[in-house]
Amino acid sequence: MTPLPPLARTVLPFAGAASLIVAWQYLLPMAGVPAYIVPTPTAVLAVLARDATLLTGHFWPTALEAGAGFLIGNLAAILLAVVFVHSRVLQAAYFPVVLFFNTIPILALSPIIILIFGLGMTPKIVIAAVICFFPTLINMIRGLDSAGPSEHELFRMLSASRWEVFWRLRLPRSLPLLFSSLRISSATAVIGAIVGEWIGSDKGLGALIIQATFNYQSDRLYAAIVLSSLLAIGIFAVVVAAEKVIVREG
Amino acid sequence: MPDAVRAVGLDVGYPTAREPVTVITGLDLVVEAGSFLSILGPSGCGKSTLLRVVADLLPPLAGTVEVLGATAAAVRSRRDVAFVFQDSTLLPWRTVRQNVCLPLQVARSRLTRAISDRSEALLDLMGLSGFGDRYPNQLSGGQRQRVAIARALMGEPKLLLMDEPFGALDEITRDRLNDELLNLWRRTGTTILFVTHSIAEAAYLGERVLVLAANPGRICLDRDLKPVKQPQNRCTREDPALVAVMAELRAALAEAS
Ligand SMILES: Nc1ncnc2c1ncn2[C@@H]1O[C@H](COP(=O)(O)OP(=O)(O)OP(=O)(O)O)[C@@H](O)[C@H]1O
Ligand SMILES: [Mg+2]
Repeated sequence: MTPLPPLARTVLPFAGAASLIVAWQYLLPMAGVPAYIVPTPTAVLAVLARDATLLTGHFWPTALEAGAGFLIGNLAAILLAVVFVHSRVLQAAYFPVVLFFNTIPILALSPIIILIFGLGMTPKIVIAAVICFFPTLINMIRGLDSAGPSEHELFRMLSASRWEVFWRLRLPRSLPLLFSSLRISSATAVIGAIVGEWIGSDKGLGALIIQATFNYQSDRLYAAIVLSSLLAIGIFAVVVAAEKVIVREG
Repeated sequence: MPDAVRAVGLDVGYPTAREPVTVITGLDLVVEAGSFLSILGPSGCGKSTLLRVVADLLPPLAGTVEVLGATAAAVRSRRDVAFVFQDSTLLPWRTVRQNVCLPLQVARSRLTRAISDRSEALLDLMGLSGFGDRYPNQLSGGQRQRVAIARALMGEPKLLLMDEPFGALDEITRDRLNDELLNLWRRTGTTILFVTHSIAEAAYLGERVLVLAANPGRICLDRDLKPVKQPQNRCTREDPALVAVMAELRAALAEAS
């Protein structure tokens, strides 16, 4: 297929989204879907404007938890991956354990994490961090090990030190996989923070979602969902921008 | 001047968990400094493995190999030897210029001359001026190989090991790069060990051609081409003497396989 012209590629996504929003606004009510299940976009927008202070008051704790969890979880994963690829012994000893932990649904662990860390922000940060940690660890190890044998031989011919092999070969090789993992993390970190808030919190978008659900305030519920998705998109945008700056390839 | 390579009773192969796989046994080989040696042989006979041992990427299983009058390891750590791999092994996140400069950035460089001057001169030499800011995925296969050769030359190696560097190229591009390589060799006096599957290429480039046989790997023909290529390893591709040599190499290769 021939690629679309650039203008079309910029405009079409917005047109697509707009068409769905218009359908949501007019078609769903016409189809008889009641407003307490799916409020119209204008109703949600109205809530966003009316309850702005309440919503931002709940937005920032979640943003902080998700952001901190994202940073801590991914940073820890990257550092551990670096240790693993440089120590075959440690990797052989602990990587299987890591794979085992990875099979535990982290969200099922969140009540335990809340029990350990109490009701403040810490357990939410921990949940968001843990949920980011395993995929990034696995991707980062794969990425750091993805340089081919002839690339390693090239560096050996140059008598490169371990540090140089890491800095000039392994790390740049790992970046595409790392960033694809970070992009996924941008959404999962928000999920982690919100699930943490569901279990025990009166602040944050997760808490707001629970309250709104119990009070049948579906327009407020939808507003909270819109904000959580905006939060994930924000983190995602930061990741993409960082990738643009850091990864240069053709 | 010491010989470029001096191998005595050399066994090369791979140490495996059970017992080592011997690929070539009892190899005795002397390669004069400054010469151009082509190596032919059926697939799997150990050509790449031999180059790896000379480059100190792999230890010999038995026997000794001396490179430029020293151990292979010493020569590698002095970076007097460079390897051009079959796939160009360019780093995709680096531009052409950055790829060519890699040898100067890695390890403590003993080269003090201005890096940019030298890399520009090499890019020029390989017909790549104006390509310095491109990324490898924006180059053709032939251009990528030229970058790989420029990078190998960046360290001013005394010994250049080339493992089927033009294997993936079309005949015309290959012929042109062959001529460029010969010019370069005449200008720099670098010793070149050149592995290829092409009989024509081996005969056209080499001052001397080795044909290796497989199972066990050994030299089955060692042909000196200096008498037919005078002066300075020059000849045309259609030269009857060269065509005769090619027939001879083909026969030896058929026997070796
Ligand atoms: N890492 C390895 N471990 C064990 N055996 C190997 C290894 N690499 C190559 N071999 C074996 O060594 C033999 C020689 O391999 P080598 O790559 O040197 O052949 P070659 O002459 O370069 O062949 P080609 O022309 O196909 O490149 C082959 O039989 C191969 O199976
Ligand atoms: Mg080979």
